[in-house]
Amino acid sequence: MLWLAKHRMLRISCQHASRLLSQRQDEPLPFGKRVRLRLHLLYCDACTNVSRQFTALRLAMQQWRERQ
Amino acid sequence: MPIDTANPTLDFHTLAEHRSYLMKVARLQLRDEHLAEDCVSDVLTQAFEKRASFRGGSSLRTWLTAILKNRIVDVLRKQWREQPLELPNDEGGDDQIDRLFDAGGHYAQMPSEVRDPAELCQQDGFLAAVQRCVDMLPKRVGQVFVLREVFGTDTKDICKDLELTTSNVWVQLYRARMMLRTCLERGGFGNAVAR
Repeated sequence: MLWLAKHRMLRISCQHASRLLSQRQDEPLPFGKRVRLRLHLLYCDACTNVSRQFTALRLAMQQWRERQ
Repeated sequence: MPIDTANPTLDFHTLAEHRSYLMKVARLQLRDEHLAEDCVSDVLTQAFEKRASFRGGSSLRTWLTAILKNRIVDVLRKQWREQPLELPNDEGGDDQIDRLFDAGGHYAQMPSEVRDPAELCQQDGFLAAVQRCVDMLPKRVGQVFVLREVFGTDTKDICKDLELTTSNVWVQLYRARMMLRTCLERGGFGNAVAR
């Protein structure tokens, strides 16, 4: 699976992946982008952390709003 | 004699109980105490005048928040029109974000490890740190982010409300999130990992 994820036709940079991670917080990604991002996350710890940081941000804003 | 159709249980006092919540949100969005106060007073007055249209289907706070959102969008639209950005790519920030990556597009520094986002949110001081970091974002980046995350506005609606293109909204939100994550890392949240 990993060779496929790192195949140059499918490989994306962390910079590209991070833009997609942000975009997917706002709308469903088109199929091709979704696949590339998924594959990237399989082998990239950095972007996995960023993905969780983005999730934490969203949760934090919800909690911030509700806390009163 | 006209029949009073107004919701009898909705007096001004009940509405005003939500004032501090509305102020908190308006302050984060507008970063201007006076403007926030004016805005919230308008919202409460409007809500009182329109109280007959509150059916109780949603919570009162949700209803008031929707009115506040509309009011804020009016204010922002006016601000953005009166002070157009001098450069289309505005407010900087891009360099700051590009520097996070090396020439190959890899992270130059390993982003802090987060095992469980929900657990991170429970950490002491995390929400306060997030609020501080949001306050430090470039103004418009912060405004778009708050519209999206606090009001839950769709990106399509943000485009319409603020007369922005979709890709512009995505860029602003991307900048906001990247700046917030580095701001929070600087504040020591998440576990730093040596690469």
